[in-house]
Amino acid sequence: MSLLKSNKGFLFVFPALIFLLLFAFIPFVRIVIYSFMDYNLMNDGNFIGLSNYSRLFQDHVFWMTLLNSFLFILATPVIIIISLTLALFLRDASARNSFLRSIYFFPVITPVVIAGIIWRWILSEDYGIMNYLLSLLGMENVQWLTLYPVNLFSVMLLTVWRGFGYYMMIFLAGLMIIPKELEESALLDGAGPLRRVIDIIIPQLKPVIIFVFVISSSAAIKIFTEIYILIPGTPMGNKSIVSFLFREAFERFEFGLSSAAGVILFLISLGFAFMNIRFLEKKWDT
Amino acid sequence: MGHLTTRLFRLFLLLFFALIAVFPFLWLLSTSLKGSEELFAFPPDLIPQTLNFENYSGAFNSVPFGDYFINSFIIVSVTVMLNLLISSLAGYGLARFSFKGRELIFLLIVASLMIPKEIIIIPLYVSILKLNLADSLVGVIIPFAVEGFAIYMMRQAFLSIPKEIEEAAVMDGCGFFKMWWTVMLPMTKPTLITLAIFTFIGTWGDFLWPLIVLKSPENYTLQVGLSYMMGTFVNNYRYVAAGSVIAIIPVLILFLASQKHFQRGLFMGSGK
Repeated sequence: MSLLKSNKGFLFVFPALIFLLLFAFIPFVRIVIYSFMDYNLMNDGNFIGLSNYSRLFQDHVFWMTLLNSFLFILATPVIIIISLTLALFLRDASARNSFLRSIYFFPVITPVVIAGIIWRWILSEDYGIMNYLLSLLGMENVQWLTLYPVNLFSVMLLTVWRGFGYYMMIFLAGLMIIPKELEESALLDGAGPLRRVIDIIIPQLKPVIIFVFVISSSAAIKIFTEIYILIPGTPMGNKSIVSFLFREAFERFEFGLSSAAGVILFLISLGFAFMNIRFLEKKWDT
Repeated sequence: MGHLTTRLFRLFLLLFFALIAVFPFLWLLSTSLKGSEELFAFPPDLIPQTLNFENYSGAFNSVPFGDYFINSFIIVSVTVMLNLLISSLAGYGLARFSFKGRELIFLLIVASLMIPKEIIIIPLYVSILKLNLADSLVGVIIPFAVEGFAIYMMRQAFLSIPKEIEEAAVMDGCGFFKMWWTVMLPMTKPTLITLAIFTFIGTWGDFLWPLIVLKSPENYTLQVGLSYMMGTFVNNYRYVAAGSVIAIIPVLILFLASQKHFQRGLFMGSGK
């Protein structure tokens, strides 16, 4: 039996299609339209051409937030090194290893808001345990949350903490499909553990590493909640593009300007999505 | 490097990251049990001198924390059920029927994954206002009642079921809808469970959209409420800590109870 030739199939898909049209595609078309209008809640708006875009490009703060969002991608190599190392150490499914895997996964399931609350307390400048530990080492207090760009580093610390267990699991899945023979023959050739990792495991894992790079950087560019909780009092120039978009829309009601920023963010994340697709195609081909 | 030093280094690293992963939780728990004079003690006490449970009652008495919890629970339960229902219907339709526009619809579903939530919040908010759903739980739920990824996962699950099972049912005169419900859906149970767990944990932690929609404190979810408490009780972190501990317990229980499904879901998510 091949596929059932029946338009009843459409009835099954219909509810999902309605939801996606109403709450994904139509809103998407609308932000593109709003981005060319001076629309807000009081005013139906007129078309004003590219004014929102030119205002945006002249806005120093917009560029700062865009730059910060790109800077968050710097956390990605760190996260890859940590999670890949842990995955290599925990490959064997022993009881100890699966216990540790679960431990590393705790931060992943923690809601971002709660993770932010915890770390804001740890990094608190006057009472935080981090500065206390530094003082034991004879170091000065660090302004983890207010000094730019140290506070970007703190936000990255939070994303690394919440992310490494997740990417470790992805690497563990990737490690399962490396043919055992490759490593066994290297072992017979007398290659030590480090050689085997560099010569065999890393090249074999290349597609997984690229995949992790793409998903963690496209998450980094959309960062919002971490910043909202961790460094709320700092100037907008210390924050991210989504923080900017949020302020313009919901504090200043500049829907047009905010939509223009949204369109730019979409184009950037589309770039990442295409990297992702190209990677997946490559993986299917091989 | 000698064999022993390698092993020691490895053990050290594993324990170090275990400490990094767990310590913040222990610190939160410890803070939530401290008294007011202990909170700003320097050097900080790792273990509270006496256990103060009044921070927990404090959280409930100073804000409508019980409401936050119930609201989160309602939003998450309804979102999980709607997601399972709508995506398993769509997944079945896409996996088993040939009809006009099927390829286009599938393409749209995949394309919907490329639209970040963060950018469509403005038109979504305008729609919610026009539908008179601002500041309501329904307004939080409706736009995310189905996600493209869930449909994709359910389609994969239906594709993996042998077709002979339906052929037999068709010959018995079973209608399509009845077949979906009684024959096919039970066979996708592992995927449904995995999807439910992931949607639960994801929705439980959602922040941006509920923050925009919900205005009155009695409608807040846990995450919005905790963020509000963090802004308001700058000098009473103990209540925020107690609230955070309560808000984390449901996901922790779910995680511990569903270890196997977790790994399964992750590997599906990684495109395998």
